[in-house]
Amino acid sequence: MHMEPATFPFLSAILLSCVVGMLTIMVIPEERHVLIKQVSIFFSGVCLLLTLYVFFAFNRSLGGLQFVEQVSWIPTLGISYFNAVDGFSLPNLLLTGIVFFTGVLTMWELNTRVKEYFALYFLLVTGVFGLFMSMDLFFIFVWYDVSLFPMYLLIAIWGTTRKEYGAMKLTLYLLAGSALILPAIIFLWAKSGLNTFSFVSLMHPGMFSPADQKFAFLLLFLGFGILAAVWPMHTWSPDGHVAAPHGVSMVHAGVLMKIGSFGVLRVAIMLCPLGWIYWAKSMAVLAVIGIIYGALVGLRQTDLKYVIGYSSVSHMGVVGLGLSTVTVAGLNGAVFQMFAHGIMTALLFSSVGYIYDRTHTKLIPELGGLSRIMPVASAFFILAALAGVGLPGLANFWGELLVFLAAFKVYPLFGVIGVVTLVITALFMLRVVQKTFYGPANARFAGLPDVSPWLGTPRIILAAVLLILGLYPSLLFNVIRTASVPFMNGLPR
Amino acid sequence: MAGSPAYAVDLTAMIAATMLPFVSFLTILIATRGRPRLSAGLSIGSVTISLACSIALLALHFHLAAPIEFSTRLLASGGLDIPFGFLLDRLNLLMIAIVSAICFLVQVYSLGYMAGDPGFSRYYGFMSLFTWAMMSLALSASLLQLYFFWELVGLSSYLLIGFWYEKFSATQAGKKAFVMTRAGDAAFFIGLLLLFVHTGDLSIAHLDSRSALSGVSPSFLTLSALLIFGGIVGKSAQFPLMTWLPDAMEGPTPVSALLHSATMVAAGVYLFARLFPFFSMSSVAMTVFLAIGTISMLLASTMAIVSRDIKKVWAYSTISQLGFMIMALGAGGYFAGVFHLTTHAGFKALLFLCSGVFIHRYETNDIYELSRFGARRMVIPTVSIVLGAAALSGLPPLSGYFSKEAIMGSLAAMHNPLWLAAGLAGVFLTAYYSFRVIFILLFPRAEGAASPPPQEAGITAGGHAAHESGYRAMAWPLIILSAVSVIFGFFKTSFKDFIGGGAAAGGAAGMEPSWLHIAPLALALAGVGLAWVEFGRKGAKQIGFVDRMPVLSRLFAERWYIDRFYGLVVEFVIDRGISRLCSQNDRKVIDGSIDGICEGTVESGWVVAFLQTGMIQYRLLAILGVLALLLLCFYF
Amino acid sequence: MIAPFSHVLVVAGILFALGAFCAVTRRNLIMIVLGIEIMLNAAAIAFVGGSLHLDNLDGQTFVLFILAVAATEVSVGLAIIVYAFRRTGSFDPADFNLLR
Repeated sequence: MHMEPATFPFLSAILLSCVVGMLTIMVIPEERHVLIKQVSIFFSGVCLLLTLYVFFAFNRSLGGLQFVEQVSWIPTLGISYFNAVDGFSLPNLLLTGIVFFTGVLTMWELNTRVKEYFALYFLLVTGVFGLFMSMDLFFIFVWYDVSLFPMYLLIAIWGTTRKEYGAMKLTLYLLAGSALILPAIIFLWAKSGLNTFSFVSLMHPGMFSPADQKFAFLLLFLGFGILAAVWPMHTWSPDGHVAAPHGVSMVHAGVLMKIGSFGVLRVAIMLCPLGWIYWAKSMAVLAVIGIIYGALVGLRQTDLKYVIGYSSVSHMGVVGLGLSTVTVAGLNGAVFQMFAHGIMTALLFSSVGYIYDRTHTKLIPELGGLSRIMPVASAFFILAALAGVGLPGLANFWGELLVFLAAFKVYPLFGVIGVVTLVITALFMLRVVQKTFYGPANARFAGLPDVSPWLGTPRIILAAVLLILGLYPSLLFNVIRTASVPFMNGLPR
Repeated sequence: MAGSPAYAVDLTAMIAATMLPFVSFLTILIATRGRPRLSAGLSIGSVTISLACSIALLALHFHLAAPIEFSTRLLASGGLDIPFGFLLDRLNLLMIAIVSAICFLVQVYSLGYMAGDPGFSRYYGFMSLFTWAMMSLALSASLLQLYFFWELVGLSSYLLIGFWYEKFSATQAGKKAFVMTRAGDAAFFIGLLLLFVHTGDLSIAHLDSRSALSGVSPSFLTLSALLIFGGIVGKSAQFPLMTWLPDAMEGPTPVSALLHSATMVAAGVYLFARLFPFFSMSSVAMTVFLAIGTISMLLASTMAIVSRDIKKVWAYSTISQLGFMIMALGAGGYFAGVFHLTTHAGFKALLFLCSGVFIHRYETNDIYELSRFGARRMVIPTVSIVLGAAALSGLPPLSGYFSKEAIMGSLAAMHNPLWLAAGLAGVFLTAYYSFRVIFILLFPRAEGAASPPPQEAGITAGGHAAHESGYRAMAWPLIILSAVSVIFGFFKTSFKDFIGGGAAAGGAAGMEPSWLHIAPLALALAGVGLAWVEFGRKGAKQIGFVDRMPVLSRLFAERWYIDRFYGLVVEFVIDRGISRLCSQNDRKVIDGSIDGICEGTVESGWVVAFLQTGMIQYRLLAILGVLALLLLCFYF
Repeated sequence: MIAPFSHVLVVAGILFALGAFCAVTRRNLIMIVLGIEIMLNAAAIAFVGGSLHLDNLDGQTFVLFILAVAATEVSVGLAIIVYAFRRTGSFDPADFNLLR
């Protein structure tokens, strides 16, 4: 694999600005809310700019690993601080940057325990950033747990519906995931005999025997699959989405679930390709069940956030289906879909957040006619819902197109089921739009203000990203294929 | 090929024709929502340029021999190569001319119709979105690109049907339209992916060349043709996905004129014509298409006979006329289908726009009420609507006559006389239901004539002036469209030269028996005559023959219970059936077992805790006991 | 040394058993602490005996440590007991199971 050392440690700079941001927030006096928020915006903005720089400076013709920084940490165990980005992690890194920044902006109106909220939020995102850029298995595990721990507090303290239940469920599920991942990582470390956790050294064809790969892949797939809400391990995710405060829901659905699918891709698939090929069919079955099941359950939900939660289950099923096709197009589609879905759900939650802050309800039967009262806020939600339906011109279309195309080559039946599910998705998304935003204006909410330009900023950013990628998908595909094509070419057949 | 200046001109014209409406869409929705006049100006300006470009292209390439294709790659990703570009041949030269012309006329008309609406800017924004999507659809070079814009056209339809979103029925209709066409599109999408997987190329030119698909098995070809046809069924509202179209009349009338009669629903037929060589490779599929066209045509005609809502009558008639086009194409009559598409776009838009004037003025859709209010006193719309209905019925010398005759010609060429018989029955029904509406409008019955038009009293001087200017904006398009309907038929031969030369002209023109020229005309006249007897003549009770048979009229009014059936399926099978099962499973089985495991853990914790009394002495005792045991172990 | 080493060990063992018995059976916190003290002293006797037996002063050093630890343990333990008594008015160990 080609490795391009970093001239300047941009990746560490991203992590550092998160950490420095967190520390700065912690020393600001508790009651200076505005200052805390300004500092948060500043540091998350720095993160976003750095990720944007990395994204655009990534050499698309060279591919491989770029911005490599490696420092040995515990040589006796072969653990090193090893950061780099490739075509798979770069879109996720950018996604995290965007969702992080917009998530901070979305919580502009927070006024309970502001300091703790933002400090924990920064810690959460540090873990996520670290995971996406780390090339060391040990660190991947550590970052996974770093991002797990603040999640519990964020949901349990600032959450809404059944928050203790949601927080506890989420934590238990994710800990169960990490309990599966850790043995698998140690297993791989021991089996390799190289005394290293470095991803690059472990990723050689023939490093592990086929039987070992099958075993390790299963553990890793189940472990990371929990986080990616693979059916039937998905129920934590809608409950967690609903319980979390909006900014956290954005990170949760937008980024945290991607950690799962990214983990499956980076650790399970890339280290155990033979295991992948062996289990692919089973993965595909679970993914397809997830696609249709999420849509069907979503049809009956009455809470806006539950609807989004179940649509996420369905959309993550599309990612899973793409990963299970063992084709370049499938991988490309899956990674693209991760990005598109992240932006889309972030936009949905951000819009719901605005609506909830005004109306103090997110139950669909109590809402209605919001288009008349807050047209701009509604427009953002409708745009995101249309993206979720897979409408061309918005980013999700391309991800779904590629995934279904790949599925048609490998599992035609699953492809058909997936495409048919798009109709059900359309049905339930439009139902929600109709019941929430259309109809005569609800007198209860008359006079509520529409989004001001400042509060609308996060939604404008997210909507613009959806639109830009919908019209010019190559922006992302050019990056993804630098990783997927060499990987598939090097695959032992 | 892109180097030469002539091509550069073409390309510029096409980009301008497609992209300007998109720019105006974005500008209106983002920047000028608060300024209705500016928005309307932007939108109409962009569509005017589109129209000019289309006409220039048409004039420039009137004698186009081979299709011109411009394409670049939009996206290349391992094994997948998605081209993006423009294809220019005679069919889409025609199509973009129709689309931009009707868009232009309807947008001008809307200046009057939508005046004063709070969503005026939004309306023009969506109109621009539609123009962009439809023009790009017509110019698409590959099937995937076509699908892309196909969906966007569906989106604009959804947004425009539900334009008055405070009305429940409107939003319901929008949703229904989107979901039902989506169901068709899912089939289309599957067919498209299948084709792609097996042939590796979705370029339209490639699919239409017979050599490209020679290696593919015929059953696969039939399957993919049928699946792609699913999209046409959805978009052109054919049986069994036809019921969304009448509901779509909840949108503003200009929208119905533009999207739901003249252009968008014709996109299905356009796609059929576009892939005509491909479809005609599978004779099984063609027969299915013919059958579906026939069924839709007849079903929709029967529905139109009993409807009291003027817009719904035209909506049913749209379904039935689209059925005619599909029949023609399915029978191999490429020219007939495309010709009818063209003439239909003109006279159907005319009918809707006329009805729109009435509805705008009297605020009702009911033909009997319109008649009582004295709708016939508005001269321009009344004359135009009569012309339009006559064209629809296929009376000479209007455009509909020529195109219907062409369709009958291609049906007559089929071996099975059943199709021709069905077609002729359709002609009769069409004439009957169109003139039913006309006669009711023209000859109000005495009992209602007294009720005054509702708006007259409340009009102020300024309002009246605005109303007058609005009326003028609405009247001009009517005059233009009427003129087109009258004249266009006479250009049949030159049209045939134009279209027939571009692609493989099917059908068997020339061997038509002579009675074929007379039969459709005679049946159309018979339809008009029956309508006259029942609705027009002095003392007629204005009760149709179907109304005397309650079973039939109920069946027709309930749309053959197709809608009811879908409603039940969605409610009982999906909502209360599978979906409920899944939710229960989620809550009870999955969550239940997880919660069970958690509670089990907690419970077992209590069991262990029972052993743990918290007495320090017991622990001490336990320590000593264990030590003693260890001691014993070591010694023995 | 006059007494044989085995006797010393027997005495230490008996003392340890008595201490353990006291610590385990008595329902009084002070008596428990007392029992523990006796056990410590039993260990100390065994250490002294061992030290003399082996001619090694390490054992006696240990005894000094044990004395120091016992002293601190008694002072801290008694302080806790007094505090607990003030809080609850009871010396019964069964009353202190809040952490159960």
